[in-house]
Amino acid sequence: MMRVLVGVLGFLFGVIAGVALLLGNPLAYFRGLPPLPPDLAPAKSYRWDDYRGMRGGVADLLGIAGRDAGVALMDPALQRVRAGIVVLPAGEGTPAALALKVSAIAEENSLWRAELGTHDYWSITWPGEGGVFANAYSNQWTLARDSFFALVLGNDSLAAAYPVTAPPPAAGVAAVTGATGRYAGFTGEIRETLYPAKDGRGVDWAVSIKVNPPPVAPR
Amino acid sequence: MKRLFFITFLAGILAVALAATFWPLPRHLRFHALTTVPPDGGRQEEFVIHWPEDRIARPDEARDGGPLAVLGAAVLEDSAGRRVSAELFRLRDAGDNVVGVAGRLAGTGGAIADRGRSATSWLLVIPGRGALFLGQNDAFDTTVRQGTGPAGPVALAPPQAATFWNDRPRVRVTAMAPRPAAGGVATSGRVLRGTSEFAGLGGSFTETWDLQEVNADGSTRGRILLSTLTLAGT
Repeated sequence: MMRVLVGVLGFLFGVIAGVALLLGNPLAYFRGLPPLPPDLAPAKSYRWDDYRGMRGGVADLLGIAGRDAGVALMDPALQRVRAGIVVLPAGEGTPAALALKVSAIAEENSLWRAELGTHDYWSITWPGEGGVFANAYSNQWTLARDSFFALVLGNDSLAAAYPVTAPPPAAGVAAVTGATGRYAGFTGEIRETLYPAKDGRGVDWAVSIKVNPPPVAPR
Repeated sequence: MKRLFFITFLAGILAVALAATFWPLPRHLRFHALTTVPPDGGRQEEFVIHWPEDRIARPDEARDGGPLAVLGAAVLEDSAGRRVSAELFRLRDAGDNVVGVAGRLAGTGGAIADRGRSATSWLLVIPGRGALFLGQNDAFDTTVRQGTGPAGPVALAPPQAATFWNDRPRVRVTAMAPRPAAGGVATSGRVLRGTSEFAGLGGSFTETWDLQEVNADGSTRGRILLSTLTLAGT
């Protein structure tokens, strides 16, 4: 009996140590993109509670989450997608904007490369001003790592904010493209930050977008 | 005992390594792309949205707004009357398979569009294939309006009311362009950019609304047709 107990405990500690080593992958520290200057791209906070589809947490990214019948999209092709309408607040020189955000689990995710995220697609329009599209890859690896250590160590080691935008795993870039109005032809960058809720209910997000006008061609 | 603990400890680490290697991370169900190649080049692909059934309602959205109210839409209007509306749909391929999610953002006024017209941004996300970003000037104001229903404020979309149609079964939404776009099509609809499988593609598109049925309560059924023509490096 003692031998079995020691064997089970050894295996359990081995699994915990293995997961800790996996999550501690140093690649995760080098994957994020630097933040945008707040004076040029002020962060707009929003709640993404009003969504349809998957919850978008780590369990969904690992494929072990159950479906929430109240919000899930039942179409087979949309089971790993989250979509919703978001209102970005006014402030810091910009009016409120209406936006659509669609996230789809990235098929390029890899547990060995510390990549566990979604491809996020935005369409944003400011009334009377114009609209932009944006796409980015949001890597939730560091949030998964800190959540694991918080669970194992029994402390509150979650950071207040997680900058999640990282270069897409496959070829491609996180980028902004002007669509309509005065932003037509603009290009730019996007960053997203995730604020984990300490009480376990929902999360808050913030998005920063910096756009540049198209270069002027000399005559 | 120490040896047993050490061996099982290593077995635990090995189990994690094996799980990390062979864990079946989620993948999207993917349908074959139903594309055609026109004689003068490019790739033509049609996407279809049926209204009202392909509208993606918000969770707990009330369905008692009357027959003309649309689900899954939002309207934002500033004090100058410049309006933006957002709509979410399931996106189908030409074979009527639901392949993705489509978002339509239409805006009026200011720098966006001339008086009485709107400009629209279509976001087409096909999981596993990527996304297409489309932009166009509309031939008329296509924004969803805020109205009042029996149970409070409701969103009203022009094509979902029978009065919009006036005996015409089909409406081209995309405004004509003064100059032909890629492929010689005179449309203001532009494929601005794509990601993943659509990366590096540009081109043109047109949006058409087809009326299929007028209901006795004044509401309609129909379909939105997005015909895209994409070319590499445009």
